[in-house]
Amino acid sequence: MWPSWDYFMTADSAVQTSEELLVLQSKLGDLALVPPWIERMASAHAIPASTEFAMNLCLEEILSNIIRHGYANEPGHPISIRFTAIRRGNFQLVIEDQAPPFNPVTAPISPIEETLEGRRDGGLGIRLIRDFAGNMKHESVTGGNRLSVRFSVPNQAPGGPSE
Amino acid sequence: MQLSIEELEGDVTKVILDGRLDIAGAQNVDLKMNVIAGSKTFVLVDAQKVSFLGSMGLRTIVTLARTIKSRGGKVVLYGPNQDVEKVLTSSGVNALIPIQHDYQSAIALLQ
Repeated sequence: MWPSWDYFMTADSAVQTSEELLVLQSKLGDLALVPPWIERMASAHAIPASTEFAMNLCLEEILSNIIRHGYANEPGHPISIRFTAIRRGNFQLVIEDQAPPFNPVTAPISPIEETLEGRRDGGLGIRLIRDFAGNMKHESVTGGNRLSVRFSVPNQAPGGPSE
Repeated sequence: MQLSIEELEGDVTKVILDGRLDIAGAQNVDLKMNVIAGSKTFVLVDAQKVSFLGSMGLRTIVTLARTIKSRGGKVVLYGPNQDVEKVLTSSGVNALIPIQHDYQSAIALLQ
């Protein structure tokens, strides 16, 4: 159960509440808060550089989609990211927003050739999220979306490859 | 994201990128990249110090390459790290812009 957004939000800036939860406002400038936060998670949990890179990449793409499309670049809306270390070598990021329903797991994306030729803007970020994340699950929750993204570290997560 | 330029022999321009090519980084270099795209013909993009590449940065690089190619030029990407290279291959950009890890081979592609 999320605390009230008013508890976390101030007029102009995001408030970082704890090591595992980051709450952003819906403005692209707040994306700069993410890499240092992920770096702290990586330090605390010995996450290797490539997995940290994948987390940063997925968050950049997911969050920019929420801000630009979900919230139509309107500031003042919350986005939360919760980091969980599930077990050794296995991590989860859960991103929640209060935007209209959007599921990047199943959203159709343009053929890559059309994107590279500049004919379509179509979903290059979504393509990267799907390639760099492990398991991904979308749920429509009351008033918004919840996207759970898992990352497995090769040779660390029990059972082998990314789940 | 910092961008600097070196003019090399044979009409080759080396564009050196240093930092994160995220949304903010891409915006920072956008203007300079547009100028390069419109004025230079043989461009080596030195990506050794690129620590992050997202879809906005990809678009910046693709736009540069498409514009230069349309003017009869060539672009090569030199030295991306493993993670950055994975972004380039996942997105298919490596089919549009060759990636080289050997400097002389990169230069040779531009002659």
